[in-house]
Amino acid sequence: MEKARISAFQLFILIVLFELGSAMIVPLAIEAKQGAWLAILIGAAGGCGIFLIYYALFRYYPDESPVHFVRHIIGSVPGKIVAFLYILYFLYLSARVVRDFGEMLITIAYVETPLFVLNLLMVLLAVYTIRKGIEVLARTGELLFIVLAFLFLSAFLLIAAGGTLDYGNLKPVMGEGLAPIVKTAFTQTIYFPFGEIFAFMMIMPYVTDPKKVKRTGLLAITASGFVLASIMAANTGVLGVELVNRSLFPLLATIQSIELADFLERLDVYFMLAAIIGGFVKITLFLYVSVAAAADLFKVKKPSQLAYPLGVVVLLLSIMIAGSLPEHIQEGIKLVPLYLHLPFQVILPALVLLVAFVRHKGRGKEGEAK
Amino acid sequence: MQENKNISFGHNEFNIQGKVKGAMASFFKRRKKSIQISKNEEPGSGQEKKKEETGPMQAGKSEESSAGKSGEASQKQPDALYTSLAANLDKIKRKTGNSPDVVIRPIKVGGAQAELETAVVYVKGLVDDQSIHDFLIESLMNNAELQKELSPEKAMKTIKDDVVAIGGIKSVKKWDDLFADLMSGNALILIDGSEEALMASTQGGQRRSVQEPTTNVAIRGSKESFTESLETNQAMVRRIINNPDLWVESMNLGKMTKTSVSIMYINGIAKKEIVDEVRTRLKQIDIDSILESGYIEQLIEDQTMTTFPTVYHTERPDAVAGNLLEGRVAVFVNGTPFVLLAPAVFIQFFQSVEDYYARFDISTAIRFLRVLIFFISLVGPAVYIAATTFHQEMIPTALAIIVAAQRESSPFPAFVEAIIMEVTFEILREAGLRLPKAIGATVSIVGGLVVGQAAVQAGIVSPAMLIVVAITAIASFATPSYAIAISARLIRFLFMVSAAMFGFYGLILALIMLIVHLCSLRSFGIPYMSPLAPVIPSELGDTIVRKPLWAFGKRPQLIAAENRTREGKNQKPKPPESRGMKHYTRKEEKDET
Repeated sequence: MEKARISAFQLFILIVLFELGSAMIVPLAIEAKQGAWLAILIGAAGGCGIFLIYYALFRYYPDESPVHFVRHIIGSVPGKIVAFLYILYFLYLSARVVRDFGEMLITIAYVETPLFVLNLLMVLLAVYTIRKGIEVLARTGELLFIVLAFLFLSAFLLIAAGGTLDYGNLKPVMGEGLAPIVKTAFTQTIYFPFGEIFAFMMIMPYVTDPKKVKRTGLLAITASGFVLASIMAANTGVLGVELVNRSLFPLLATIQSIELADFLERLDVYFMLAAIIGGFVKITLFLYVSVAAAADLFKVKKPSQLAYPLGVVVLLLSIMIAGSLPEHIQEGIKLVPLYLHLPFQVILPALVLLVAFVRHKGRGKEGEAK
Repeated sequence: MQENKNISFGHNEFNIQGKVKGAMASFFKRRKKSIQISKNEEPGSGQEKKKEETGPMQAGKSEESSAGKSGEASQKQPDALYTSLAANLDKIKRKTGNSPDVVIRPIKVGGAQAELETAVVYVKGLVDDQSIHDFLIESLMNNAELQKELSPEKAMKTIKDDVVAIGGIKSVKKWDDLFADLMSGNALILIDGSEEALMASTQGGQRRSVQEPTTNVAIRGSKESFTESLETNQAMVRRIINNPDLWVESMNLGKMTKTSVSIMYINGIAKKEIVDEVRTRLKQIDIDSILESGYIEQLIEDQTMTTFPTVYHTERPDAVAGNLLEGRVAVFVNGTPFVLLAPAVFIQFFQSVEDYYARFDISTAIRFLRVLIFFISLVGPAVYIAATTFHQEMIPTALAIIVAAQRESSPFPAFVEAIIMEVTFEILREAGLRLPKAIGATVSIVGGLVVGQAAVQAGIVSPAMLIVVAITAIASFATPSYAIAISARLIRFLFMVSAAMFGFYGLILALIMLIVHLCSLRSFGIPYMSPLAPVIPSELGDTIVRKPLWAFGKRPQLIAAENRTREGKNQKPKPPESRGMKHYTRKEEKDET
């Protein structure tokens, strides 16, 4: 762990930017059709639940990085193995997001540019930021948040003023009952994006006021849930379920539909700016967490030394994980939530928490006996 | 003696002998000393000269080795002045290479029987001639007290206490101090037979007078600007803040130049850690010369690999006063009108003193404009390049047709076109800056009309590009701080390259990188982007927006120390109720009931 301190407010902003990151540009929870926004809100509630598991673990060891305390809980060797698996998991997630953005850029504007080059630039920026440390990332987040907030507010205003919003598209809510919505929430939205807050286990020890972590985390998840829900509602309202379902980046289509006063049209830059800011924060955080965890696990004295090697790993991984965009998306929807997110985000932390709980209870009794 | 005692323990005889030896030695010492003095009185003896030629260090050694003979070494340090006036003057002459501007004026005082030689030494031009003549030489010559018979010590005391009518006077015993004072414009009074010299502060001479500021021009506010004189500059700030808590510390930096540098802060408002940090960083400077405050700025800044200034500099006394009142530390350097202020934050470079003199709504609007200006000067050409080469679909159709039609005749890609025009403009600007004013106008005509107009007519650059470059150029002039405008000027080219290579993607990545870089900077430990990042909600009122003056409750918390209260509560003006229509009718009703 580096010697750094971030405020609870900075944690809030990082979580919000992180959650919005890649979730805002994809057709999130569209399996729930008109109920997508509801599925997202349920997912946010579930995310809050998962966050409480992480928070309980954090409460046992508020000053230590998870790489350390997992060894206290389940023993040295199994702890190291688990920590190593998590590093791989974060690297993979980081590479996934890099790939997402590379593919998005190719689709919307850079048809001729090689994926490798686009990804390289993004990873370079992430590595540059990581070498500056978490404090700088947190401060950068604060400034980027202002930009993003301005973009969102003005975009919503323009959509509302543009008259392209058709509330009829949002109906019927729960036309097929609650079942598909809940199913979508539990198979998708809880894990992506809300469960990914697990990465913040590595960030929480930096917060100056540990008492505020719980409130900040829950508030941030709820806030980002509402923003994502309103984005999906706006997408559905403007484009209709069918179009959202078919388009890869519904937010782009929504923003392109803005036409005002014969001048404010084709605001693709809006979308690009928002998407790149979100992607940057998400990639950088994932990469930062893997760098910090790897430095802790392998006792590297200068964590920033790991930024370049792991950056290269992420870059290569982002090219290799899928042969094509459809394959990448299929993996993301079908395989990753079930085989990666569920065990790493819910099952393993819950088990570790259980062990920690039992151990601490035992220790507490011993303490009383003494 | 100690050894002797130990060996011959019990043998009283030896012990007594030792004591006798010691007594005899001290007796001879006194004798020798008096002899030495009488010798020194004859300038022609040449004994001192011989010692001098071997150099001060060696002279000291030889003195030590001959300690038994002269017995003087234990009292005299190598750096100390000589007793003889002639020897002292000789040393001064040799040290200054007989420079004619070092004036040595011998004056004889004392009665007719015992004449006492004295000399006044000063550097012509550095001193105030008036005070040298009126208060030093004339009073030395005409003072009645000095016409009596006097010992050197008595004369020294009399001169110091009664004769010299100058505020600052002190005695000097070391050559280093003597030369430092002499070269900074003080006058020396040397008296034969005394190992001390008197130093009267007579600094003066020709300096530029106080004029209007040329760089930080403000429409409203004080018209005074700093000068090259350190004392004048400090006094100008003191005239604004009439408070004993305004503290000044001075030091001399630069091994050759011995430039006087002083730090100024308000005790109780400036944070102690920051003052200490500034002081230690200044003390660490080990360089031969300090020619301008820019030297110091570059030697004390936190981060060197950046184009952004992390120390603020200004030539306005009211700006310095305002910043001191916020808790900052000012660094004055003799010989330059530019005073450094630390710690500096990014947003400070978009603020001007008159923001606080004008009403808040106007100031806020102007500050927004300035940030916009900075942004335009940063990304103007880059956006044009990105839009015309990568994202034509994002330009409204009618505009796109016009731009495309213009670009059709241009032989170069937009990036090359932009680089040509930007570089041309930079050349014009640099030329205009260095030339005499009369020729400067010619340059602007040649540059603006001939190059610009002709380039468009010849079809080398498109008119749209010219407009973009011109707007960018004006924007970079409109940024209030030159230091930040010049860094935008440099980064602009980086943005142009990234936009030319990757369109808006490259541009946005470059912008994010810029933000990361700005957030990583610190100025004397203070985050450069504060109070925006880390956000300090109570201080956002003095960033891009400027809240009303009556709402300024506290000083900045990262910079100011315990005394953070700026103004009392309820400072909002409460004029008597107006005679508006509403109030009038209400009163009427009341009267009726």
